[in-house]
Amino acid sequence: MPLLEIHHITKDFGGLRANDDISFSLEKEELVGLIGPNGAGKTTLFNCISGLYPLTSGQIFFDGEDITELKAHEVARRGMARTFQVYVASGNLTVKENIMVGCFMNTRSRFQAGDHAKEILKDLRLKDLSEYLVSELPGAAQKRVAMATALGTNPKLLLLDEVAAGLNPREIEEIMITIKHIHNELGVTVVLIEHVMELVMKVSDRVVVLDSGQKISDGKPMTIAKDPRVIKAYLGERYVKEHAEELG
Amino acid sequence: MDILLSSLAAGLLIGMVLAIVALGLTIIFGVMDIVNFAHGEFLMIGMYTGLLTAQSTGMDPLFTLPVAAIVGFLLGVLCYFGFIKFLLRGPMIAQLLGTFGLMLFLRNLALLIFGSEDRAVHHGILVGKSFDIGMGIILPATKLAAAGLSVVAFWGIWLLMNRTKIGKALTATALNAQGARYMGIPTERMNALAWGIGVGSVTVAGALIVNFWSVNPFIGLLFTMIAFAIVALGGFGSVPGAFFAGIVVGMITEIPGFWDFFTYTFNLEWMANVPMTSLKYMWVYLAYFLIMVFRPRGLFGWKQ
Amino acid sequence: METIKSAFDFSDFPRIDLIIAGAVLIFLLTFPLFPLSSFAMVTMIQFLMFSLYGMGWNTIGGYGGQVDLGKAQYVGIGAYTTSVMLIRWDIPFWISMPIGVCFAVGWSFIIGYPLFRLKGHYFAIATIATSLVLKDLFESWNFVGAAMGLEISPIKYNPPDFLRLIFKDDIYYYYILLWFFLVGILYINWFRKSQLGFQLRSIKDNEDVARSLGINVRWSKVKTYAIATAFVSVVGSFHACYIKNIEPEDTMSLTISIMIALMAMLGGAGSLWGPIIGAGVLIPLKSYLKEWLGATAGLVGIDLVIYALIIMIISAFEPRGIWGIVEKVRRRKRN
Repeated sequence: MPLLEIHHITKDFGGLRANDDISFSLEKEELVGLIGPNGAGKTTLFNCISGLYPLTSGQIFFDGEDITELKAHEVARRGMARTFQVYVASGNLTVKENIMVGCFMNTRSRFQAGDHAKEILKDLRLKDLSEYLVSELPGAAQKRVAMATALGTNPKLLLLDEVAAGLNPREIEEIMITIKHIHNELGVTVVLIEHVMELVMKVSDRVVVLDSGQKISDGKPMTIAKDPRVIKAYLGERYVKEHAEELG
Repeated sequence: MDILLSSLAAGLLIGMVLAIVALGLTIIFGVMDIVNFAHGEFLMIGMYTGLLTAQSTGMDPLFTLPVAAIVGFLLGVLCYFGFIKFLLRGPMIAQLLGTFGLMLFLRNLALLIFGSEDRAVHHGILVGKSFDIGMGIILPATKLAAAGLSVVAFWGIWLLMNRTKIGKALTATALNAQGARYMGIPTERMNALAWGIGVGSVTVAGALIVNFWSVNPFIGLLFTMIAFAIVALGGFGSVPGAFFAGIVVGMITEIPGFWDFFTYTFNLEWMANVPMTSLKYMWVYLAYFLIMVFRPRGLFGWKQ
Repeated sequence: METIKSAFDFSDFPRIDLIIAGAVLIFLLTFPLFPLSSFAMVTMIQFLMFSLYGMGWNTIGGYGGQVDLGKAQYVGIGAYTTSVMLIRWDIPFWISMPIGVCFAVGWSFIIGYPLFRLKGHYFAIATIATSLVLKDLFESWNFVGAAMGLEISPIKYNPPDFLRLIFKDDIYYYYILLWFFLVGILYINWFRKSQLGFQLRSIKDNEDVARSLGINVRWSKVKTYAIATAFVSVVGSFHACYIKNIEPEDTMSLTISIMIALMAMLGGAGSLWGPIIGAGVLIPLKSYLKEWLGATAGLVGIDLVIYALIIMIISAFEPRGIWGIVEKVRRRKRN
């Protein structure tokens, strides 16, 4: 049984159709990349799946259960965690405290939450930063903290929204190791919104491509990279026409 | 029947005046998202300004309006550059408590300077006169003039906001401060201008109101809350909203009158025992609460 | 039990903090034994009261970041419940106080649920509106004495009366209140490390992120609002027995609500010591300003003018309060 199934999701904002009849499914322990040009509707899709936005139409099944009508915190409690693209880092919580918030989802005990957080800190190599305020850290570290916090909830599925944005190559390398660790060692199913192509193509088992609210391709990284629709979405129709020969 | 009509008329008149009290608040909020607790205190200052100008120069109270307007405008700009500007940088709680501090400051400064007794306007062309238009409706001349001037003021502000370049710049800043800045509109100056116009209009309202409402240093809070209710109902940031909402709230303050009407019509004794008059403003606060919870956009609001 | 252990566990504070806290504690415990004016005693009792008010407010306003400016209505509910029950039916404080808390918390759930649909300024003003509605109602309600309020005449009872909390000497009130104060501190110490405390702090940061971590934002806020209400109501009940003369203008006015929020903000909202520091600075300041300046003929109101200026300056330049400054300095030294 697939871990996540989305059937014909449509999301309208007034007159704007941000997600148009999108369907796909996700098996346990897959690592799927979600790519597409800016404005394609990727983050909107995440918001729909995680319950932040009510759907205009469509259905979502998570681990066999229909979660379409559930609110965001209820979805999270079913085992779906996520990070956010634009996230004002906390000036109120330290790294450890931040992660503990995630851990508190599954326990009321401060000691259990603290111990769990300590494990995650070690696992994601954040131990040295544990007493800093999240807002004091550089961007790359903040993203790792966000991922660590989401992990605190012991998710079955983790949605990562552009965790590599604005990072330099070395940081991207680090994030990639972290993502692979989460996926391989911790066995978490991951969906990754990304613009940094080397990252997506290298780690994903499969890639889904969105453009202007619609799903235009779904397959292995190498396959979709050659898909003319994908090329057109990124490069534009004119460019494709003009360079038709080179693109083969 | 008479009671009903006179209550309606009274509600309409006072509503139009209350609308202009709220106008300044909605402009300031529209442009920079700050809730001004001291709003009613500026009204109080306007009232004292009008009163004292009339008394010391012998002018008719109605002609003190320009004085009040200028005093208000300058005061608003001064407040902005001297204080509000710094508040805007902080978290919301600091802004709320900051304007509350301003309220305390102005109120007690007035107490210090003017003492706590009520003062009222006693001479003037329109004071004490009223028009009897039959059916039991008596319109005090001062209130009528105030309502009329309020309409003029609203129309003037509306023209300013929509037909002049500077008004459009203000609106632009209200809609999207950063975007406006990129367009070359100086946000600081727009903020100061909003404060100038905002405070100016409420001091003018004060100079109008003092003709039929006596002033003391403590009346500010009541008007602040009424203004909040009006702005909430009309929609934060909406000028026409403030006008119509003002009338509605004016009607709400006349609930004792309507209640009396129903008491006599239905002849129910228990109704006569309800102390409606002292609960007059409670309905305004209640209305505010209900509006905010069930329709936060208000009638015409675009800011949520 | 883990809860108790957590309440007494102050180990995450640096040693210097605990030493200072210990010293203050000793001072508070021994204070009434020194020869002092009744004025000082009254000021200290006020300090303890407002510390407690501030601590309660701090849960929802400081840790939760929801600026509640309508707490005075719960002071009123607590105070009036105790007064009415004592005057009409001779019910002692220790029974009427919990009943007052029940009423207050009940009311807080009724208006809390719709209230928390709102955020930011709108929420703050709505809290003011609800408080004023209740105040106006009380001012017109004859059962509670309307605007004249209620009076407890100590002659009818035999002080010292520990059941009804009627005493002739302030010292009794002081120690009973001090006990509440200490319990309050332990409670907040537990709270800030509890699941709810962490949830609130996450909510204060970013509500969507909080939701994505499984937090039912609205419900957490309502629960905390009820906790804050309980604190305030308890002190309100105490207030009735201490002052023995309550009326809506005194106990339920906007000024009281704002003072409560102010204690926490000035001292440092969102920290354990903040409200206590805030009250420790503001209450004596207010009292002494009033004594020295206000008493001077013709300068009625000047104490509040200065008070207001202080509020304005803090709001504009150091909105994180005194404790915020302390923490800022410490972080800088560490980095």
